[in-house]
Amino acid sequence: MFIINCPYCGKRDQVEFSCGGEAHIERPKQPTELSDDQWAEYLFMRKNIKGVQFERWNHTHGCRKWFNMVRDTSNDKIHATYKMGEKPPIK
Amino acid sequence: MSNELRINKNNFIDQTVRISFKFNGKKLFGFKGDTLASALLANDIHLVGRSFKYHRPRGIMTCGSEEPNAIVQIGSDPASTEPNVRATEIELYEGLEAFSQNCWPSVNFDVGGINNLLSPILPAGFYYKTFMWPASFWEKYEFFIRYSAGLGKSPTKADDDLYDHQYAHCDVLVIGGGISGVISAKLAVEKGLDTILIDDKNFLGGSTIYQDEESSKINNANSNQWLAREIESLKNYKNLVIKSRTSLAAFHGYNYLLAREALTDHLSVHERKNKIRQRLWKIRAQKVIIASGSIERPLIFNNNDRPGIILSSSIKKYIDYFGVKTGKNISLFTNNDSAYETAISLSKSGVNVNVIIDIRENSDSNIVKEAQKLGIKILWGHTIVETNGYKRIKSFEAMKLSSNGGNVVGNKIKFNSDCIGISGGWTPMVHLYTQSGGKLQFKSNDNIFIPDETKTPSEQISVGSCNGDFELDDVVNNTIYNVKKFISLDKSSYDKINVTCSKESSKKNIWLLPSDKPLYKTKPFLDFQNDSTAKDVKLALREGFKSIEHVKRYTTTGMGTDQGKLSNMHALGIIADTTGTNMGELGTTTFRPPYTPLTFGTIVGRNVGKFFDHTRKTAIHNWHVDNKAEFENVGQWKRPWYFPKNGETMHEAVQRESKAARESAGILDASTLGKIDIQGSDASEFLNRVYTNAWSKLAIGKCRYGLMLNEDGMVYDDGVTTRLAENHYIMTTTTGGAANVLSKLEDYLQTEWPELDVYLTTVTDQYSTISICGPNSKNIIKKIIPDLNLSDENFPHMSFKNSKIDGVNCRIMRISFTGEHSYEINIQSNYANDVWKACMDAGKEFNITPYGTETMHLLRAEKGFIITGQDTDGTLTPSDLQMDWIISKKKYDFIGKRSLYRSDTIREDRKQLVGLLTDDPKEVLEEGAQLVEDINKKPVEMLGHVTSSYYSPNLNKSIALAIVKSGKKMKGKKLIVPMEEKNINVTITDTVFYDKENKRLNA
Amino acid sequence: MLNFNSPIQNEKKYNEIKITELEPTIKINLRSNKREFSTKIGKILSILPPTEANTSSGNENYSLLWLSPDEWLVYSKNKNQNFKDQIELEKKLFNEISKINQGAVTNVSDHWVLFNLKGNKIYDLLTKSCPFDFNEFKKKKGSVLQTIVNHIDVIIHNNENNDLNLFVRRSFSEDLWLWINDSASFL
Repeated sequence: MFIINCPYCGKRDQVEFSCGGEAHIERPKQPTELSDDQWAEYLFMRKNIKGVQFERWNHTHGCRKWFNMVRDTSNDKIHATYKMGEKPPIK
Repeated sequence: MSNELRINKNNFIDQTVRISFKFNGKKLFGFKGDTLASALLANDIHLVGRSFKYHRPRGIMTCGSEEPNAIVQIGSDPASTEPNVRATEIELYEGLEAFSQNCWPSVNFDVGGINNLLSPILPAGFYYKTFMWPASFWEKYEFFIRYSAGLGKSPTKADDDLYDHQYAHCDVLVIGGGISGVISAKLAVEKGLDTILIDDKNFLGGSTIYQDEESSKINNANSNQWLAREIESLKNYKNLVIKSRTSLAAFHGYNYLLAREALTDHLSVHERKNKIRQRLWKIRAQKVIIASGSIERPLIFNNNDRPGIILSSSIKKYIDYFGVKTGKNISLFTNNDSAYETAISLSKSGVNVNVIIDIRENSDSNIVKEAQKLGIKILWGHTIVETNGYKRIKSFEAMKLSSNGGNVVGNKIKFNSDCIGISGGWTPMVHLYTQSGGKLQFKSNDNIFIPDETKTPSEQISVGSCNGDFELDDVVNNTIYNVKKFISLDKSSYDKINVTCSKESSKKNIWLLPSDKPLYKTKPFLDFQNDSTAKDVKLALREGFKSIEHVKRYTTTGMGTDQGKLSNMHALGIIADTTGTNMGELGTTTFRPPYTPLTFGTIVGRNVGKFFDHTRKTAIHNWHVDNKAEFENVGQWKRPWYFPKNGETMHEAVQRESKAARESAGILDASTLGKIDIQGSDASEFLNRVYTNAWSKLAIGKCRYGLMLNEDGMVYDDGVTTRLAENHYIMTTTTGGAANVLSKLEDYLQTEWPELDVYLTTVTDQYSTISICGPNSKNIIKKIIPDLNLSDENFPHMSFKNSKIDGVNCRIMRISFTGEHSYEINIQSNYANDVWKACMDAGKEFNITPYGTETMHLLRAEKGFIITGQDTDGTLTPSDLQMDWIISKKKYDFIGKRSLYRSDTIREDRKQLVGLLTDDPKEVLEEGAQLVEDINKKPVEMLGHVTSSYYSPNLNKSIALAIVKSGKKMKGKKLIVPMEEKNINVTITDTVFYDKENKRLNA
Repeated sequence: MLNFNSPIQNEKKYNEIKITELEPTIKINLRSNKREFSTKIGKILSILPPTEANTSSGNENYSLLWLSPDEWLVYSKNKNQNFKDQIELEKKLFNEISKINQGAVTNVSDHWVLFNLKGNKIYDLLTKSCPFDFNEFKKKKGSVLQTIVNHIDVIIHNNENNDLNLFVRRSFSEDLWLWINDSASFL
């Protein structure tokens, strides 16, 4: 059970949150211009990294805001959380 | 009680309070403070169980949670009996009843003992090898294996006991109340930190508290006296919580730990009534200090499992703490100094110490000299090669070790003893550290794994013997130094502490001690509970198993209820020796929680019975209950399923309700539908993006049905949305989808379209929804809201009006899920019950009939309306549902649009929604039944399945919806629904069965 | 005449704890990220929406709770405010904010049920199923928390020392009420 630092509410138990998968995948602005392969790339293809990964999380049972997280999947260490629209603080 | 085995020691055991208990039906006595094990030993009972595989007689071997043998069944009540309880841990209470396990008909005469004679043909992997073939025999083998497997008996009735959960937060959690734990806790509270100290015993002080030795001094006092004063001083700190009888079960990431507190297990049964039995503590600590100590290792030699062979330190605890002699003529067998402490304790208590067999060549440490001064005989450089006595050790034979320790030489020397204390050194309890993700390092001089402080995953340290410090001065000084650093404490009351103790000067370790017999003729037990021997481990290696994890599973070493606390290190050592590898490289098996077994009751806490899951109720729920509704669970909601009258069956009730709704009037509590209030200047644009159809042109006061897709183009949810004002909508979602839809919409607003000026607020519980349908619905609404103009011109289908009922604002929607003329009243929930009653009163003259979800499903199926989640399953596009009309061709984009013309979604042979009619109109299909075209072509091709099926009282025939491969093109085609007893012939039809022209909407 | 039926209408006392369903009052959800919003609220309620997370503002009539950077909940403390006042306030706020696209005003008076918990052991009770660390929260009057209690979403508002208001959705209220009473009986 992680302790997650919600960028809006502060540190809370993981049970208040839900994970929404890989972060920084932008929905294409003009989906109709994309080929099947390009659309499938957006729709289905996700990284599954052992190591530092960027993820979307939602403070479901708190402020209901979505935010991003940098987490090392090999040891569950959370390096940072940051608001949507902000640049990742770590490369 | 056998008084000759009790010595008069009253500091830990209250010998004035006698407690009666029963063991295998025999009434016995013990004292307050005893464990079951100490009380049994005081009654001269060593034999307590039979081993798992060979049914060899086994005795109490330890005094703690590592006990492999003394595992008993507590109580015989079918609800509260508990199997696999360690006799060494359970505190004696008045009326305690315990039984030996794994023996029949009795522990003294056990039929399974024949397995011991058969043991040459029951080697490691016996079951794997024997029961593999022929495969068709597996069912028979399984019966036999299951019959002989398992230790205790499960309770057969529901557990009546109460269990509880509690979260706790602290600055520092100290695990273990031994000397290093007590010192750590004191330092933490001196720093002013909120501290919790937990220990699984009912007393603090660990093994030091009964360590009354002149050679161990702290600040010139005997270490036990010093520690007792320290424990007393802890009481002065308000920032310290001490939890005794609390054992740590799991150490998870981010310093989240689970501990089980036993609250009533030590009380007599009548004192337990209405009290919480066990509590699961869920602790979140800023810092964790593990002081879990170490456990003594046995020695692995031939027939080392006889009752009366006990860990040397346990013998010491039984005599020093419990005042119980484990024998009258005790010998010790060791490879280190700690057995000498036991010898001294025994000797001081007047127990004859026959001989100490020490595999080392010699030792000149103080403690050894002290033992020698007491006249105790020591046999250096020897090992035990054989033990005798079936149900209790009687004698043993020792021989001299060869210079390399690989063999024995010289003559056998026989000793008589009714108890042997064995000591193979100490194993730090690193389980919790590794559970938390910590990595270990191997310390070869002590043959131990200890925490690698450079690879610690969270704010934690290990101190004391679990960190590899075994001598008092190291334990105390290192604990103080490390804890001060850990909590950034500069000065403490321990800064000038002075510790003196005996120092061990000689070490020797042999994992598998030799015998004069060849290995295959000996029984050197490793895992006492699972009966795996050193031979089994060697066999596994010969057969090609290399990984420690594989050897463990193949030989079952370390897989008992004790999880190999005693056996793992020896198994590793033997593997390393046999394969010529380094133990550090070999690594350990993975330690997984729980550290000691947890009851299921503790795990679930109060979430049983009525608290098993939540029940959500509508504001009209009590009316439904009063009117005998049968309820259906929809998500967490309780929804009326049907309202049986005069003993009707479900079918009869649903047929009546369905007919009444179409012939006159029906009323439904639709309050569970999700409702989202949408406001903002971009609300219309937002709806355009989330629904497949167009919303910009929806006039104020009108309603529209919408389909919501996932980005993959599959139908996700549906519902009616109403335009209340220019920039104000109210959306309804399915009952089950409400939370997910809101979350998904918020996701898009926050992450993909932050530029949209839209706000979403859930109002599901704010408004209750009462749906009235049928030709008389209009007459009923007219009676309730007389001043509302209900003409089709003023209030047409798919529109809404703001109105008032009795002065209370409400919204009336004219929308229909049944195909009938119908209205939905949306009113704030605290008035809903009365509005419902008013509708019932107004509808009385029209035979208004309350109906439940089953009738609702039937009526909509007659109209071919889908239910997302029933007729859809996340694999169907709108086109698959024959709902191409709802996909806007003009909109540039909406969620899922691009996916609707992927190569896969435009395939014509996708599964598509169709109607089905059975050739026999009375035959009702089973939902989920498969559809096939050619029953004779093998393998039979499954074309699809039935998703909804009912007997329609309004059409007087059976109707069904199904999804079928290429279904759109198959109208009129005959298919077969193969069932167990017969094949049912069906014809594919249109999805709309009733009122295809929608005439009834305005009837 | 329609009767007003709140779900619990009860009060229970246990060892060092008292649990009451408060008489229903006005509750209005406010959402906005517009600049004008704060001043408009200030004019109507005479209090400003708090910008600091997990806090509230208030006067003798209303409490205004922070729920998220663009969401607040206002509820009336004044038991004498009747149904009419409720409509009036909602209307006023709606006209001043929603109507002119300054945010969203939504009446949630019946969406939430309000429990009051008083006594020395209320935090021991909540932490039986709530993972939140209340150490700071309980020291700070007016602090606000959205979390889960027995897996049910709640909003908790710290009135004063050992006295808090707990908001739970109406449909869950009976379930949570039963759980709270059960747990209180074992404290």
